[in-house]
Amino acid sequence: PSLTSRDPLEKEASLCILVDSREISSGPEVISSLKAVHGVKVQVCSLSSSDYVVSNRMAVERKFQSELLNSVNRTKVIQRIQRLQSMFERICVIVEKDRVKTGETSRFFQRTQCYDGVLSALVQAGIRILFSSCQEETATLLKDLALVEQRKNAAILVPTEVEGRRQELLNFYLSIPNISYLAALNLCHYFDSVKKMANSSPLDIATRARVSQQKAEEIYRYLHYGFDVQMLPENLRTKGKSGAAARS
Amino acid sequence: MTTKARSPVTAGSIVVPYGHVVGNEKWRGSEISQRLQGKIKLIFEDGLGLVDFHLSNKTCILYISEADLVAGDEFKRRLVRFRNASSLGGIVIVERTQISDQYFLAVQKLVVLELGMVLLPVANQGEASQLIIQLVREQSKDRSSNPFLRKQCSQLAEASVFRTVQQIPGVGKTKALLLLQQFGSIHRLCNASVKELEPVVGQTVAQQIYTFFTLCS
Repeated sequence: PSLTSRDPLEKEASLCILVDSREISSGPEVISSLKAVHGVKVQVCSLSSSDYVVSNRMAVERKFQSELLNSVNRTKVIQRIQRLQSMFERICVIVEKDRVKTGETSRFFQRTQCYDGVLSALVQAGIRILFSSCQEETATLLKDLALVEQRKNAAILVPTEVEGRRQELLNFYLSIPNISYLAALNLCHYFDSVKKMANSSPLDIATRARVSQQKAEEIYRYLHYGFDVQMLPENLRTKGKSGAAARS
Repeated sequence: MTTKARSPVTAGSIVVPYGHVVGNEKWRGSEISQRLQGKIKLIFEDGLGLVDFHLSNKTCILYISEADLVAGDEFKRRLVRFRNASSLGGIVIVERTQISDQYFLAVQKLVVLELGMVLLPVANQGEASQLIIQLVREQSKDRSSNPFLRKQCSQLAEASVFRTVQQIPGVGKTKALLLLQQFGSIHRLCNASVKELEPVVGQTVAQQIYTFFTLCS
């Protein structure tokens, strides 16, 4: 199917992108450009794992070119992307040119073996890479990604504002290992109660949380996991009040 | 860059020996080829069609030069023909220079977002050769040496389950442990009645837990 033929109605449906709260300081123009230039609904929340979420299945990580140039940041970059891989079906890395500070002439970009090595490893693993020369361009790329995902029926449709009781529920769902913020939001919204969620089949979880069958089975197994107190790390068990004190 | 109309892509028929790169005859003597020589084993073959370099039996490179970008849309037709004709993973290496920079965003959109291929910009053929060397190294390495393909060891679920139960309002470490010892799993805990919960955590919290699990969100 051609991606260039656009349904005029699709343009009408407003796009939604989740932004990690740390991006307010590191990418203010990305956020303002998404809102003002592209008319995207931007929901700032504490995603912690990724910088942006553009659909039910895609996380976007924004990296400066300089972060990939030497091995100093390598481990940190790798760990972050590995974490995303455990949560999301699709990952895109936007490589953004470093900002030229005032008074500084255009920075000379010296390509390194480390840089080419990271790009090669990302390509080999099927992680998408996009290149941007400034924050405004990054915003355009994010919007484009969200649009492509919308055409593939993966757009974020769930209400993204969370407060009160729903925040408690969201925190509960977010504590499921390797669950994305969006999957947790979907669980909150598309299941009437936690009990109903806990009693549903993997297929039902996949449909409502908008996750892969494999991820749904992982969630299902977690809910049914038989807890063995002997396997709980000692340091977690002993902190806090003793069992006898709480019982009284 | 002329191509044979009969066979646009020799998909699948190219066998790339391990650790080798098969280059299109037209690249013989080019700067890329010269810089690759000695670093990787480069063999030239005629009739590779749209492909410039085969890195493996599955991956190949299509090279778009500054001149291609400036010349107009011919390179786009080439990419689309490749995409339609081949099941190979295509990596597009594009020369992003001061002159071709103005075309970059449109090319990136076409290649990555519309054709679903990989696009990697380089400044010149020298950078391209460095990049190709790394791509070849990555391909010939063991899967487990790629950090993004490595299977991650999973943690014991106990600590996570313990943390999840503590997300229930009114439940701290002590009550979480008592609840899990009594009910064994999150699933069973979710289905517990107030009567069953009361002896474990007391009346108030039992009601709180029951409400948390059963109230419509």
